[in-house]
Amino acid sequence: MPLYECNEQQFVENIRRLIETSEKFLVNRRIIMYDDAKYGPSTLPEEEFGRYATICIRKSLKSTVFSKVPFIDEFHGRMYNENEILHGSSNLLFPRMSIPYYKVEYSINVWGGTYLLTFDAMFKPEIMIEKRSGKGLAKGTLIHVLKYDPPEERILTINLPANVMVFDVKNMIRVIDYSLRF
Amino acid sequence: MQNKQELKSISVFIPLEKIECNLSEIGFSINGTTTIVADGKFWKKMLYIKDNERINISEEIGDAYPKDPIITICASKITISKIIDGVKKV
Repeated sequence: MPLYECNEQQFVENIRRLIETSEKFLVNRRIIMYDDAKYGPSTLPEEEFGRYATICIRKSLKSTVFSKVPFIDEFHGRMYNENEILHGSSNLLFPRMSIPYYKVEYSINVWGGTYLLTFDAMFKPEIMIEKRSGKGLAKGTLIHVLKYDPPEERILTINLPANVMVFDVKNMIRVIDYSLRF
Repeated sequence: MQNKQELKSISVFIPLEKIECNLSEIGFSINGTTTIVADGKFWKKMLYIKDNERINISEEIGDAYPKDPIITICASKITISKIIDGVKKV
């Protein structure tokens, strides 16, 4: 079964065409959280890196990222000291700092083909100063804390008319349909 | 009775500010934003809502040129026409 990748515009327009032809179809959706070090502060565009500017510093895109101040990464339960290397684009397999994300996949199966739209939605960083203790910190020490908020579902999802059925799935297992062979 | 909702997605070569201005004129307000990565590029994805009508705009982050935001509309036929007409006027 062929698999066709689409961008957002192509995918939505394909659905619109199917609706207009009254063709019966089903949209599958898979949203899974990953924290596999695919994204880190070194590879973020400037606008995005700005969200981390309170705690991190880098010379330019894809250069090594250092901590500006000591901070706690609450999501991963780690603490970083000042001037610690946090991330670098050249050693992405061994980064110290990783940004979690949702992998979102939409697919439709039509006439033996699968049309797929995929994108990753980054968790939003939230940096605040809090009183913390432990891990070498005196009781009630004020320290920067990095938290990650998952993006809300209403922004992740593609807006579709109410008559389009969307099924949430855990995984897509590709099946070879031998009946299509003549 | 609610108008029947239709679907439309367009890619346009006009600045995001002008699209936002057009949406604001017809009563849409921003409801949320997130950063996504698709096709190896970072995009800002914004959601606009007016009653039960929803519009997503995705624009590439950074200095990419030309910028071609993708507008995905799930709304009544009248709203879709208004948005497309507004985009054409720019």
